[in-house]
Amino acid sequence: MNELNIERLRKTVENIHSLPTIPETVKRISGIIENPNMSLNDIGKFIANDPALTTKILKMVNSAVYGFPGRISLVSHATVLLGLNVIKGLLIGVSVAEYMETAMTGLWSHSLACAFMARILAQKKNIEEPEEVYAAGLLHDIGKVILIQSYRSEYEAVMNRAKEQGTTVSEEETRYFPVHHGTVGGWLAEQWHFPMKLVEIIKNHHEPLRSRIAPTETALVHLSDILVRARGIGFPGDDSIPVVEPRAFELLNIAESDIRDAFEEMEAAVARSEDGLSP
Amino acid sequence: MCPVYGGTAVLMKRISVEELQSGMRLAKPVIKDSMTLLGEGTELTDRLIARIQAMNIADVVIDAPGEGGSVKETLLSNLDRVFRDRENEPYMGLIKRLVREHIEQYHE
Repeated sequence: MNELNIERLRKTVENIHSLPTIPETVKRISGIIENPNMSLNDIGKFIANDPALTTKILKMVNSAVYGFPGRISLVSHATVLLGLNVIKGLLIGVSVAEYMETAMTGLWSHSLACAFMARILAQKKNIEEPEEVYAAGLLHDIGKVILIQSYRSEYEAVMNRAKEQGTTVSEEETRYFPVHHGTVGGWLAEQWHFPMKLVEIIKNHHEPLRSRIAPTETALVHLSDILVRARGIGFPGDDSIPVVEPRAFELLNIAESDIRDAFEEMEAAVARSEDGLSP
Repeated sequence: MCPVYGGTAVLMKRISVEELQSGMRLAKPVIKDSMTLLGEGTELTDRLIARIQAMNIADVVIDAPGEGGSVKETLLSNLDRVFRDRENEPYMGLIKRLVREHIEQYHE
């Protein structure tokens, strides 16, 4: 597809609202997220006014993932506890769950397991905002969804080639597109005015050394993606595995025992989430 | 070969709509344009298969109970497959060993 240059692809992402395949709820929510004047309070009210969204957010918050004592039954309580950045990530996360699953069956399970794993490892590494790493894990492959929705036949060719060659889709994407799904996801995250850290993690999760302001967080999502693929949860579009960036792995300096424990905790989180968090 | 999913309880696999046979059970709902057309767990009949095939959907995910052995065996063969030519890269051998040990313990 020679005619698809980088500018045109970027325009597609920036005009994502006009894509007919984007569901109304995602459009509405991305409108809210994109508005920099929305305060935490405004977003809380927006969620509280939508019963379906309220249920999803409270389920997510109470799924024991967040580990607060007792149940959270009010959106206002959830927003205060989690903060603006995390709420924005969760809001997009819950609203794209079904959309993600429509684009690629199994991508949501892969993303959710990656988010759990990244958050658990972030806690073990005493990262300041593990919830932000969680949101990044949830959204790291959002670029795949955009590529599938906008260029379905090309993306099917990417997946077929990856299957034939035994490679990953990210290795094949650049044969068909000017950039891979990380870059596309990063553009979308910028468009949605996500915090810079989140943009960097999504953009660089396959090249973690490029991350400037969040190298450790990016390395965590990079590694978690690989661990979850190895364990075989969900379907990320291929039947292979990216090679871990050695310097990112060294930067994390995670003990083997921490990875072992993280797997146990991740399995428990996935098991707990099965009734409440499916799209 | 179709990718095999390792859930916590059941195994699933993605197959093309042409390969569907009656008696198979949907492991994931069939969703089109944000609408759930057939729910998870639906047992497929010839009539439903004809409907799915008419819907311009490429593939669906079905339960694959016990296919090719236990959950553990399937996950381990999945692990070997995805690592096939990557095992000798730095740290990939270590990662594979940790995942194998986890699968062996977790799916006792």
